[in-house]
Amino acid sequence: MKKIFIPLALLTLPVVTRAATAVTALEGRLQVGPAIILITILTLFVLVGILFRAKDTNDYYAAGRGISRVGSGMAIASNWMSAASFLGMAALMYGSGYHGLAYVVGWTGGYVLLLILMAGQIRKYGKYTAADFIGDRYYSQGMRAVGAIIAILISISYCVGQFGGIGLMFKWILGIDYVWAVLIGGAVVLAYTLISGMLGVTKNMQIQYVIIIVSFLIPLFILTAKFDYFWLLPQIGYGSVVSDIVSGIPLAETNQLMNSFGHAYAIVPAPEYAMPWDPSTGQTFFQWIAIAFSLMVGTAGLPHVIQRFYVVPKARDARWSVVWGLFFICILYWSAPAYAAFGRILSANPEVGKLAKDAIVVYTAQLGSVHPLIVGLLAAGGVSAAFSTVSGLLVAGSSAFAHDLYVKVINPKAPPKKQLLYARLATVLMAIIVALIALLDLALIGQLVAVAFSLAGCTIFPLFLLGIWWSGSNRSGAIAGLIAGGTVSAVAMTYFIAGKQGITLPAHEFISYWLEAWYFAWIGAPLAIIANIVVSKLTKKTPVEIRKFLIENVHA
Amino acid sequence: MEESNNGFHISFFKPTTKQAKSNRNMVLWLVSIWAVAIFGFQLALYVLQKPTPEATLALFEENWDHVKTNSANNEQLKDFSYAALSVLGKIFIRPEHKAALDKGLTIAVLQLSDSTQSAIVSDKIRNFENLASSITDITDENYKLAKADLCETVSPILGLDKSDPRNIVLPLELVSLTDAALSKEDIALIEEAMPLYLTHNQSILTDTKFLGFPFHYFYTAVFLLILFVGICWLYCVRTDRINAKLNIAD
Repeated sequence: MKKIFIPLALLTLPVVTRAATAVTALEGRLQVGPAIILITILTLFVLVGILFRAKDTNDYYAAGRGISRVGSGMAIASNWMSAASFLGMAALMYGSGYHGLAYVVGWTGGYVLLLILMAGQIRKYGKYTAADFIGDRYYSQGMRAVGAIIAILISISYCVGQFGGIGLMFKWILGIDYVWAVLIGGAVVLAYTLISGMLGVTKNMQIQYVIIIVSFLIPLFILTAKFDYFWLLPQIGYGSVVSDIVSGIPLAETNQLMNSFGHAYAIVPAPEYAMPWDPSTGQTFFQWIAIAFSLMVGTAGLPHVIQRFYVVPKARDARWSVVWGLFFICILYWSAPAYAAFGRILSANPEVGKLAKDAIVVYTAQLGSVHPLIVGLLAAGGVSAAFSTVSGLLVAGSSAFAHDLYVKVINPKAPPKKQLLYARLATVLMAIIVALIALLDLALIGQLVAVAFSLAGCTIFPLFLLGIWWSGSNRSGAIAGLIAGGTVSAVAMTYFIAGKQGITLPAHEFISYWLEAWYFAWIGAPLAIIANIVVSKLTKKTPVEIRKFLIENVHA
Repeated sequence: MEESNNGFHISFFKPTTKQAKSNRNMVLWLVSIWAVAIFGFQLALYVLQKPTPEATLALFEENWDHVKTNSANNEQLKDFSYAALSVLGKIFIRPEHKAALDKGLTIAVLQLSDSTQSAIVSDKIRNFENLASSITDITDENYKLAKADLCETVSPILGLDKSDPRNIVLPLELVSLTDAALSKEDIALIEEAMPLYLTHNQSILTDTKFLGFPFHYFYTAVFLLILFVGICWLYCVRTDRINAKLNIAD
C-alpha cells in the first residue's frame, strides 16, 4: 500500500503545494483585532469569576442553588455548547454531509430523554454529584468510588476535544504552533476555573451564552445577506445553499460573488453533501442510527449535565430549565449546518486547499470576506464555548475526586478547606492530563467528545434510569450492569487506541465498525440495562430504606 | 404515595398512584413520538432510497470501454472528460482516485488535441505546474494569468460551456504525463471511483423541496429540533397541570 501511495503522493504534489499557500493565507499570523477581543472577553470572564467566586464547598459544587430557571437554562446551554457544538458540528457536516446531522439530532434529542426520565427526579434525590447518587442509591461505597472514577474519565475524555478546540482557536488568533496554542489555552482555562469555581462559572455561563450565540449568529446573517439568500432567518435561508450544493452553481449564475481569494461562488453539483449515508462518505445507515442513539443516551448520563440540575431550587425549576436550555442550545444547532453549507461552496475551488475541518466555522467567515473583527469575535466565541464547557467539566471531575472519592470514601472527616484544596488540586491534575492527550490530535473534536457520550451511555445512564424508575434494581444488578457496559467500553476503546497506534487486533475491522469509539453505546447501554435487570431479579432485594426514600422523596 | 403489595416498590411500568399513572402514560406517548420521529423517519429514508446515478455517470459508462482501450472518438473522449471533471470537482476525493482521474483527464485532453495543440497544451501544463510549485501566494498575478491561459486553451478543446463550473477545476487537474496511457492500476481506480462519487441514495423524500431545503434535510436539521423543544415544553406544562390538579407540591 505504501509503495502505491508514495508515487501517488508525488503526483499530487503540485496541487498540495498550491493548496498549502491558500490555507496559509487564512492563518499563520497574529490577528491583532481578534486577539484584543479574545483578551477582553477572557478578562471579563475572570472578573465575573472573581466577583462571584466560591466561598465554600456548597458554593463550589452547587452555586448556592440560587439560579433562576432561565438563568439555569442559559447555563445549561452554555455548559453544553462546547467546542464540539460551536466548531465540531459544522466540521462533521462539512466533511460528511448528511451524516453529520446524526450528531445534531443526538445532541439535542437526548435532552428529551433527560427531561422526561430524569431531570425532576434527580433534583428531588438531592445529591451533589453523579457518584453521590450512585453510592447512595446502590448503598455501596465501592459503587460510589467507581462512579467517581467514571465521572473523572468522562470529564477527561470530554475535555480533550475542548482543549483541541481551544488550541485551534488560539493557533488561529495568535498565529502560533498548535502545541503552544493548546498549552497556553489550557493554562488560561485552568486559571479561570480555579479562580471562579462553580458559582462564578454559573454566572459566567450566562454571560458566555450571550457571547457565544451573538458571535455565532452575526457572521451568519452577514454571509446569508452577502450571498443573496434569505438573511432574516439564516437558519431557514441556508436551505437554498444546501439545494445549490446539490444541483451545482454555474459560473454564469454567480452574480460576480466570490470568496476572499477571488474564486467565483460556483460549485460542481455535489449531491453527496445532502444525500443520506452517501457511498462516497463511507458512512452507513447503521452508523447514523448508532451515533444518534449513543449521543442521546450519553446526554442523559453525562455527570456535568446531570449536575446542573442540583443548582436549581426546585424539581419544577429543573424541568423548566431543561426546556429553556434546549431552546437556547437549538438556536446554535439550527445555525451550525449553515456554516458547513457555506463552507462547502466557498472552499469548493481546489486552490483553497485542505482546510482543518474543525476550524471550518472561522474559515467560512474568512472565505466569505466577513470583516476581520467579526471573524475575531467568532473565534472568541469558539474559545468561550470551549471555556464554559471545560470549566463545568473540570468542576464535575474535581467534585468526583474531592467529594466522592476523598471525602466520602477516603477521609470522611476532612474539613471543608481541605476538601476545596483537593478539588483544586484535582482540577490542575486533570487539566494537565487533558492537555497531554489533546496534543496527540487523535480525531475530530466532535468525535472525541462523542467518546465521552458513549462512555456515559454505557455506564451512568443505565444506573440513573433504573435507579430512579425501578426500585428492584439493586447493588448486584448495578455491578453487573457496570461490568457489561464497562466491558463494551473497554473493548471499543482498546480497538480505537490500537488502531491509532497502527496495531491490528483480532477481528479489527469488524469490531471497529460495530463498536466504533463514537457510538459503542448503541449496544453497551441496552446490555448494561439487561444485565442490571436480570441480576437484580436473581439477587437480594433493594433495602427497604432505599425503596422508602424513592417513594417518599423522589416520586412523592 | 400508596404502598404496593410488596412494600415500597417503584416500577415505571406498574404505577401505584394516580400521578404515577398519568406520568407513565404521558412519558410513553412522548417517547413514542420522539422515537418514531427520529428513527422512523430515517428508516423510511432508508427503505425508500434508490441508488441514483448523476447524469455524468451514464456518460462515463457509455464511453469508458472505448476510452480505456484507446479506441474512443472525440465525442466519447469529451464525455469521459466531463464525467472525470464532475468527480474532480468534489471536495472530498481520495488522493489515489484523484491521481488516476487527473491522468485520465489529461490523456483525454491530449488525444482530443491535434499534434500542434498537444505540444502547446503539454508545455502550458508543465509551465503552470512549475509556476504553481514556486509561488507563495495564489493571488500571484503570473500564476493567475497562467491558470486562465491554460483554461482558455483547454476548455474549447473539451467544448465546455463558459458558465460550466467544471472550468474552475480544469486547469488545476491537468498533470504532466510520464506515459501516455493509463496503467492497469489507473483503470481499476477510475472504475472504482466513478460509481462511488457519482451515485447517491435518493428518493421522493430527498428530491422534494421544502422552504428551499431538500425535504429530508429540513426534517432532520430543522424540524426535529423544533419537535424536541415542543415535546419538552409539553411535558413541563402537562406535569405542572397534573401536579396542580392533584395538589402535589414540588
